[in-house]
Amino acid sequence: MKSWQRIAGIFLLIVSAIVIQQSVQVLRLFDAGQPGSGFMPFGLGVILAVLSVLLILTHLGPEQTEVRFLAEGWPRPIIALAIMAAFAVGFNWLGAVLGVVILVVAWLLILERKSVVISVATGVLTGAVVYLLFEVALQAPFPRGVLFGG
Amino acid sequence: MFDIGGLFQGFTIALSPLNLAFAFIGALLGTAVGVLPGLGPAATIALLLPVSHKIGSPVTAIILMAGVFYGAMYGGSTTSILLNIPGEAASVVTCIDGYQMAKKGRAGPALGIAAIGSFIAGTIGVLGLTLVAPPLAEFALKFGPPEYFSLTVLGLLLATYLTGESPLKGLIMAIMGLILGSVGLDPLSGAVRFDFGIPDLQSNIDFVTLAMGLFGVGEILINLEETGGVSILTTKIKNLWPSLADLTRSGWAMVRGSFLGFAVGILPGGGAVLASLVSYATEKRCSKHPEEFGQGAIEGVAGPEAANNSAATSSFIPLLTLGIPGNASTAMIFAVLLIQGITPGPFLLKEHAPVFWGVVASMYLGNAMLLVLNLPLVGMWAQLLRVPYAYLAPLVAVLTLVGVYSVNNSVFDIWVMTVMGIFGYIARKLKFDLGPLLLAFVLGPIMERSLRQALLMSQGSFHIFIGRPISAVLMATAILFVLGNVWTARRTKAKSASQAQGTAA
Repeated sequence: MKSWQRIAGIFLLIVSAIVIQQSVQVLRLFDAGQPGSGFMPFGLGVILAVLSVLLILTHLGPEQTEVRFLAEGWPRPIIALAIMAAFAVGFNWLGAVLGVVILVVAWLLILERKSVVISVATGVLTGAVVYLLFEVALQAPFPRGVLFGG
Repeated sequence: MFDIGGLFQGFTIALSPLNLAFAFIGALLGTAVGVLPGLGPAATIALLLPVSHKIGSPVTAIILMAGVFYGAMYGGSTTSILLNIPGEAASVVTCIDGYQMAKKGRAGPALGIAAIGSFIAGTIGVLGLTLVAPPLAEFALKFGPPEYFSLTVLGLLLATYLTGESPLKGLIMAIMGLILGSVGLDPLSGAVRFDFGIPDLQSNIDFVTLAMGLFGVGEILINLEETGGVSILTTKIKNLWPSLADLTRSGWAMVRGSFLGFAVGILPGGGAVLASLVSYATEKRCSKHPEEFGQGAIEGVAGPEAANNSAATSSFIPLLTLGIPGNASTAMIFAVLLIQGITPGPFLLKEHAPVFWGVVASMYLGNAMLLVLNLPLVGMWAQLLRVPYAYLAPLVAVLTLVGVYSVNNSVFDIWVMTVMGIFGYIARKLKFDLGPLLLAFVLGPIMERSLRQALLMSQGSFHIFIGRPISAVLMATAILFVLGNVWTARRTKAKSASQAQGTAA
């Protein structure tokens, strides 16, 4: 896991560099002699840089025990993220209810390897719950989508 | 000091049918969430944040969320005892002796004493809150910008060091939270920060989006990696009521746990987890039969369960009186109050006394409801565990995706939430605790506003933070705390090194 901690340290160092650069060049450290909008972010960027270096330094050297970063089921979160991203892309066009139905069906079919019947039934039920809870009860103005005249 | 009139007014508000109903719903949801592993109170409150937008009354919204929070403390003990799986983090310690009692056919008394201990502790916690909160709020009226800055620094440091395994990682998360909190409009100058040309980032990152991403989506991703299933203990649950011998043995444990939990819960970062650990260690030291701990000692269940419930209640004190949430769940409740247009802090009691006393009174009622829910319905809660995570995960995903959209009607929020979810997932894989990030995100605007106002007052001199007595004490406490931890860590490291050398020799 040490190598992953070092990678995290480098990522955080990059973040701190961006924060410091933005604070100094885009925002103002001081404004009419008083702390400006870049004052605190600059300080935070510097502290983050120091902590990132400490993180890297405290994880130097070889691994003492073998620890796997990726668990056995590592593709599953990636598949779930892909399904959620597809939902976000298609949300306005499909509408909330149809989008939910497709998300649940895809999730159960692809991720959980459930049967088509169970996946579709669960998807339709979830879509109905979302419709009743959010659109009817909470009056949330969701896009109606291509099927319901949106 | 003790506002009996305020408390009576609070009961009038809490006993309204609507508030009673929401207290019941919160307690029920919280217990279910506490029972189900993989979904904690913070994640559930995050999922309910869009709902809180629609609830017209601030008291009702807080009653619902508070019910979820302390309900989860009750529910967490069920899976700890029956399955050796903590339903939520504060019930980890209950697994140690609770599960052993279940294996010996004493699941009923274990569940019974956990529920009774939780009820007693919750009631003591609420009584303590009623007594301590008003004078503390009165004292906090003396706070100005320098004091608030020092207090937020101390609060964040305590929360960082007391939670999680690594203070360094906790500090990094806290700094990240402060940075994320500065994205968007600067509240003092109106300048736009860190938008990188993206118009949607010009308004600040919404708390709901961040919370649902880190705790909702992140939780799903972590749980999806686990490919093993959960086996259900098939032991019959009988004789829920503990015997007289059980009650005698665990009576003092419940009382000690209640007071210990109350004290620990007030500290930012203290909370239910630390309280239960401290209580377990204390009970083992106080017990006449310490060798029984780990084998099914009833005090090992009674003490920690009492402590975590009492801590859950007392953690409301810094939130309601100082406006400083001490953990992720109270940070969520802080956000709910802001959504309802109420700023938590010393003026809450002065300007919104009905909200304060209504919430306190509902906690009294909520504790009674939870005792009723947990004891007779324990069989039903155990059946909840049969719901496969395969169906729970897409349901939670749907609730997060749809819920976050419903806040601002923005697809951009869905993307931000997803990115936060990935960040939360990777952070947890690398053993970074997310609590300090969320706390810092909430405290960041208070901290920055206080810092800049204080420097305005002092015309740029940092001496103001040590020149004013209350601020000086808070700063000194923060510095001593950090130095103390660094010294302890070095001593422990030196001791381990010399022990290793001794072994090698």
